[in-house]
Amino acid sequence: MPKWNDIQEQSFLESDARARAVGLVDEGTFTELAGPFDRFYSPHLETLGEAVEFDDGIVTGVGKIGKTPVFVISQEGRFIGGSVGEVGGAKMVNTIRLAVEFYDKLVAEHSDLTDEEKPVVVISFETGGVRLHESNAGLLAHAEVMDQLQKARHKVPVITLIGSKVGCFGGMGFVAAATDAIIMSEYGRLGLTGPEVIEQEMGKEEFDSSDRALVFRTTGGRHKYIMGDCNVLVHGKVADFREALGKLAGLPVSEFEKMRRIGSPELVEKQLKLVALAAEMQPKDARDVWAKAGNADAATLDSKPFDEFVASVKRLEV
Amino acid sequence: MENVETMMGRGRDAIDMIVDTDSFKEGTVGAKTFDDPEFGPGAVVGTAKLDGQDVTLIVSDAQAFNEKFPVVYAGIIGMEEGYKMAQAVYASLAADADKPKEQKRTLVLIVDTPGNGPGKVEEIFGMNKATGAYQLALAEARLAGHPIVSMVIGRAISGAFLCHGLQGSNILSLDSSFGTMIHVMPLTSISRIIKKDLETLQELSKGNPVFAAGPQFFYALGGVEEQIDKVEGMRPAIIEHVKQIRAAVAAGEDDKLGPWGRGTLGAERNGRVVRPKVINLMNQEFAAVAEKYAPSR
Repeated sequence: MPKWNDIQEQSFLESDARARAVGLVDEGTFTELAGPFDRFYSPHLETLGEAVEFDDGIVTGVGKIGKTPVFVISQEGRFIGGSVGEVGGAKMVNTIRLAVEFYDKLVAEHSDLTDEEKPVVVISFETGGVRLHESNAGLLAHAEVMDQLQKARHKVPVITLIGSKVGCFGGMGFVAAATDAIIMSEYGRLGLTGPEVIEQEMGKEEFDSSDRALVFRTTGGRHKYIMGDCNVLVHGKVADFREALGKLAGLPVSEFEKMRRIGSPELVEKQLKLVALAAEMQPKDARDVWAKAGNADAATLDSKPFDEFVASVKRLEV
Repeated sequence: MENVETMMGRGRDAIDMIVDTDSFKEGTVGAKTFDDPEFGPGAVVGTAKLDGQDVTLIVSDAQAFNEKFPVVYAGIIGMEEGYKMAQAVYASLAADADKPKEQKRTLVLIVDTPGNGPGKVEEIFGMNKATGAYQLALAEARLAGHPIVSMVIGRAISGAFLCHGLQGSNILSLDSSFGTMIHVMPLTSISRIIKKDLETLQELSKGNPVFAAGPQFFYALGGVEEQIDKVEGMRPAIIEHVKQIRAAVAAGEDDKLGPWGRGTLGAERNGRVVRPKVINLMNQEFAAVAEKYAPSR
């Protein structure tokens, strides 16, 4: 494991799940829960004669940022694409549950608990969703995560980070959407249906999944920022994610409600205005929507230097 | 044995088989009315009586086609459908906002859906939000005390089952003799993607329900509470499950319901046995260090 200071300077994209987990919280504060020494691996992969990992491809634990307890979930894309099975799913679900229980305990014990002393959950997504080798268990774990996210509402903010190679797709695409705040780098991608499946459904003429720029225009960090689906867009180092996370951790939970895109009847009505716009526009390309948002330079927006992009981009309002 | 009477594609018929005779009013939930017939046609919502009580129905309609979003047909849940379903849930919550937890109206979800909208426009605007919005609404309603019974009559496939079904308090399914499909992918596709030959997978699935397709495997994993062997059995089973759910809510045993409750059921049925071990160990490990993360006073 590299030193904490060195992790900060690493690219988030290139880092592994454990380095991200350790580097996101204050130096020396991370305690891993159900870590590799506990040797919880997937019995289902073993049955199939596949290689296993002793953390099942997900790092879970707790650390601190300042006075804030931070429950960390960090998926490892290098192990079967960060896919979610029985063990990894249980680790994810229970980390959120532990955070909610810890919140309840602290609130009961300390009448003077400040916002920055209340726990938050951070999830670094790097996954395509369900692990097919144990698909049914993976699917059921997704439902459990959604349930826990609702149980955390108005108590423990859940913050999403997406800046990995695999991105965040499949069922985990809506898990991320259901969290309170989303921080992405421009290399992060977020969606439900992966590019290959869209191509398969619609044909190569409509959607060429080998066109990297097209894929990023449809699901990448810059696009999600314009659509309001990502709250904060950051540079690509671990330190950049940590800084953005640090600014959010410690805010009152009511502030997080304002960052949400779904999770209330009012937000559903707002999203339906976007859906009506989608029906009206039938965009051929995300750039059509960028232009609709008021970006005269929509054609070149994805190649603008990052800082210039963030400073000048107009985000879609409905 | 194959059952002659498949319910696949018959979401609307299932409504009449389940609710009190001629009681279904389509397009009205509490104070909310759904007046535009072209809005989210793949989702049928409304109110009916079940055993004399008001219930909200949310049904995927495999016969509908959404003109505005051509990927939405054959029961696929598109963006409009997902948000329409969420609206029906929030309207149910609003209608019973003043009632005590034990008296919230039941929601019955009739499930026959092969997927979420897989298109380019859907990805540009965020199909993930539509399906996520509906799931959060269902979880909120369940936690507020509304019994939610999901009734799988045809296809409950992958993300679409997560969207429409898996947040239910209890889940019932017609058994495999009806051709009911519950899975992420058929075994043939899984075999191709994970590069294991089909015969091996078929053999392994006899002893391990974790990747095989069918309601019986989800039952073994605790993902389905009960399998139903005849269509006439749907109505009494749903009525019975509503009673059980209300009893659990009244006793403050919410943890026995929904996805977390089905996790426990999965261990009881010997389907997901590592899950509780992981959870217990994490709880112990955190308890040992929790003091370090509490505020110092």
